[in-house]
Amino acid sequence: MNSNTTRVVAGIAVVAVAVALFVVLKDDGKSASEKVEEQTKTEHAGANGSPEITTIVIKHGKPVGGIAQLTYNEGEQVRFKVDSDVSDEVHMHGYDIMKDVEAGGSVTFDFPATLEGVFEAELEDRKEQILELTVNP
Amino acid sequence: MSFFLPLAHALVARKDLPVPAWLFAWGASLVLIVSFFALSAGWRKPRFEDERWRPLGERFSRTLMSLPVRVLCGAIGVFLLGFSVYAGLRGTEAPDRNFALTFIFVTAWLGFAFFSAIFGDVFRPFNPWRAAGRAVGGAFALLAGQRSAHLRYPERLGRWPAAIGLLAVVWLEVIYGASGGVAVGLSPHACAVAALAYSFYTLAMMALFGVEKWCETGEIFSVYFGMFSQLGGFGAKDGRLGRRLPLAASTHWASVPGSAAVVIASIASTSFDGAQEGALKDAIVQTFEWLAETGLGLTTSLRLADTIFMLACFAGVGLVYMIGVRGMSTVRGAPPARELRRGFAHTLIPIAFAYLVAHYFSLFVFQEQAQFGYLLSDPLGTATTDLFGTAGNGIDFKLLSANAIWYVQVGALVVGHVVGLTLAHDRAVSYWGDYRQAARSQYWMLAVMVAFTCFGLYLLSVANS
Repeated sequence: MNSNTTRVVAGIAVVAVAVALFVVLKDDGKSASEKVEEQTKTEHAGANGSPEITTIVIKHGKPVGGIAQLTYNEGEQVRFKVDSDVSDEVHMHGYDIMKDVEAGGSVTFDFPATLEGVFEAELEDRKEQILELTVNP
Repeated sequence: MSFFLPLAHALVARKDLPVPAWLFAWGASLVLIVSFFALSAGWRKPRFEDERWRPLGERFSRTLMSLPVRVLCGAIGVFLLGFSVYAGLRGTEAPDRNFALTFIFVTAWLGFAFFSAIFGDVFRPFNPWRAAGRAVGGAFALLAGQRSAHLRYPERLGRWPAAIGLLAVVWLEVIYGASGGVAVGLSPHACAVAALAYSFYTLAMMALFGVEKWCETGEIFSVYFGMFSQLGGFGAKDGRLGRRLPLAASTHWASVPGSAAVVIASIASTSFDGAQEGALKDAIVQTFEWLAETGLGLTTSLRLADTIFMLACFAGVGLVYMIGVRGMSTVRGAPPARELRRGFAHTLIPIAFAYLVAHYFSLFVFQEQAQFGYLLSDPLGTATTDLFGTAGNGIDFKLLSANAIWYVQVGALVVGHVVGLTLAHDRAVSYWGDYRQAARSQYWMLAVMVAFTCFGLYLLSVANS
């Protein structure tokens, strides 16, 4: 076998191994993300099946317990409530949804997770981040 | 601590999802397979040392290089710089609604890098400082009847001023914009003031050392974009445009001292920006808290902590490269370590470019929609102007799915790795006439490249987690 043939064979072998790895690893990935999906479903649904709402409590203009983390898969319904002791505007970036909240009032967000990525919600006037929303594909 | 809140880019409303574990594993495996294949499939004669430049059509070339076209391009460059400064000073302080920040740090800083790597040096004709410097020089020659005299540039300094300047630009972009222990991002006003200061500094240096000399060694943007342009397929020679073998021009780029520092600074600053919200986040927070407890102000503490880690990234990337160089110098028949250090610096340019694409590709695609949408029609962010009727346009975040971004990121790193290996092998063959010794020396560069590429993949997989 001359060196050119060896190279062609080696090249084909590389491609074959890479494709095989891709298929094997990607299958793994899929089942893992399905597991996550099941988890998030049980997380977001209450015991009686009715969806339970995450509430972000704002005290002195800051989120209690730090920035809230919410994770959804694409297509699910994002739902959360903000209870605030200050009046401000809650801005869900990326989705670009703005809602005013009164001091001592609350406001509810309910929208489909159509955009993939990591987004933040903040109290617009205070520039205070209150939520990190992750939407997986 | 809840008061610490890093927001690296005040510009982006959407951050990339971390690359999933399976894609990380696949990418890393692919890198290893490709690397071993590269070892077995090496060629025996250098192929990239000669760029094989061929002129383009005479008339086309002459038109593009003619004085009116050069003056026009220069004027466009000066206008855009001036307008950015104006927008920064007079426009809104909301970073995402002001033309200045997106234009300087996304459209120009990333755009010229991306297009230079494909086509060649596209920044040179538009460089506002070069245009201004040449105009002033030309006017002087006309009035005085003689060419202006310059100081001799200290050759030992080489490209070090640009390497340090590159770190300074990134420092300004991602570190300086801290306030009260919170990274709120650079304000448009500060950006405009920095651009003005840099303009004065650059014009002064050009007056001292000459326009072309300073562009080759010290002008940050010329050197930085010029570095990526070495990969591109077009170049000018003796006032004529021509096609050249892509990648080949890079083989002579690093002969100027300090070039290795420029490419290392590029990799390090991108790494730092990628790592500060993921891999390095905890370490930065700890250092920040420790500094804050010693009584330094919160803003100073955060800037200082970030600066320490950015410099650590520079030292770390440099160290990995130096280990590779030291390793190669142990192979029989090796040139002196000093020559090796310069001789292989260009092989890191593709890696630096891959890092850039992996970390900023999605930012570029999303933010350019803003640039050519609402920022074009309402550059000052006043909400009252609408020059082109696009002030109400938003950013379509659906343009790129998370999967598309992941494949581009991993693809860029793998391709950058292969190109880097190709250039390194080529250089080794030209240094070591003996093919076996050349291959032996390349175990070292292979280790360096695998380290950089896998580190890049790792950064993506732990991004903002």
